[in-house]
Amino acid sequence: MDVTWEDGTHSTFTGEQLRWACPCAECRGEAGAPGRLSRVQSLSDAELRIRDVTLVGQYALQIAFESGHATGLYTFSLLRHLMA
Amino acid sequence: MTAPSTQQVLDALGQIKDPDLGRDVVSLGMIKELDVSPQGRVSFTFELTTPACPVRDRFKSQAEDAVGEIPGVTGVDVRMTANVRPAFMRPKPSEILPGVKQTIAVASGKGGVGKSTVAVNLAAALRKSGATVGLLDADIYGPSVPVMTGSQVMPQQVNGRLLPIDAHGMKVMSFGHINPGSEPTIYRGPMVGKAIEAMMVQVDWGRLDYLVIDLPPGTGDASLTLAQAVPLTGVAIVCTPQDVATDIAVKALQMFRKLNVTPLGLIENMSWYVCPSCGHRHDIFSHGGAEAAARRLGVPFLGAIPLEEGIREDADKGTPVVLSRPESAGAKAFVQIASQVAARTSIQSFRQLPVINVH
Repeated sequence: MDVTWEDGTHSTFTGEQLRWACPCAECRGEAGAPGRLSRVQSLSDAELRIRDVTLVGQYALQIAFESGHATGLYTFSLLRHLMA
Repeated sequence: MTAPSTQQVLDALGQIKDPDLGRDVVSLGMIKELDVSPQGRVSFTFELTTPACPVRDRFKSQAEDAVGEIPGVTGVDVRMTANVRPAFMRPKPSEILPGVKQTIAVASGKGGVGKSTVAVNLAAALRKSGATVGLLDADIYGPSVPVMTGSQVMPQQVNGRLLPIDAHGMKVMSFGHINPGSEPTIYRGPMVGKAIEAMMVQVDWGRLDYLVIDLPPGTGDASLTLAQAVPLTGVAIVCTPQDVATDIAVKALQMFRKLNVTPLGLIENMSWYVCPSCGHRHDIFSHGGAEAAARRLGVPFLGAIPLEEGIREDADKGTPVVLSRPESAGAKAFVQIASQVAARTSIQSFRQLPVINVH
């Protein structure tokens, strides 16, 4: 996934990188319980392939993967943090 | 003496800077249909980014002066027009509200500060300036727009979509139109989000320069849904001067900042009261709190509105005060604030949203 930011800079992300960074409660864990990403060692190909990306307002991207997982809202600041 | 070239005219006009956009009016594409006659008569169209432009008259005289000073010019004919540009440069139009150029949210955090009154009068002032305007009442539990605009009728349905109601030349839609009378709307949070989305997707808003959105109090479901569903051009925050109101207004502003929505600025409502019997001015809710908060937060202060009986009276009768008593201090304040909002909004037209490619 390529992103051209408002200031003109470009970033490139792989599906694998984004899937492992998913910020949703199921993946990250909530209320003290560990999330799915801390329990699994590997993810299938379908889980790592991006199917669709939509802009959420003007602060985040919602990324849908081939597996159907689409609950993560990746804020621009999270994405910028990932590329650093 | 020979007539000047069009380039000479453009060079002269290029000295005029737009104070909000920080660039010259020629490179911003505001000068159109430029013509220089062999006799030296210069005529052109000066296209503003909003009909509510606060520097409209200044631009006109600056343009006449700049061109008039060029040797060989015998007359200057400036046609002032306006064309609101869509917020944000983006590869394809938004799927939600595709015909709407600018979406302006009015929020406060705290209730009872006059958010709806400000939203209704802001919309009416923009309409009065010549723009096409819609007004969406996103307060599901306490809709006040139908009464304030005198539009208590059921919306019509065409091809499965609701038609907004015409009120004072504005397109208006509120949950109070859909669920009228004294029956309350008893909804949990997710239903509120769905209802607000429906008012954007299932209502035929058509083409609008501005859609003003009156938000309910709070920093939860309604504001969040709105900020996620559409790239909002910006948000104007209303508060009364006292600390208890400005403190909550700051929270609302910081929420929108987190969602990357541009704060257009703070508006101080109920700023002062002039007693009709003694003529004395009273600062009932204190004074200047919003301006101080704006300075602290580094956002523009958009203006102050007095507490006037006429504003409330006309709102209850269904006519915004900017239309019913244009000469009142309240109406003048609203018109000035609308100009400031429009100017801040125009800046957003030159911003680029991130472009995403998946391959």
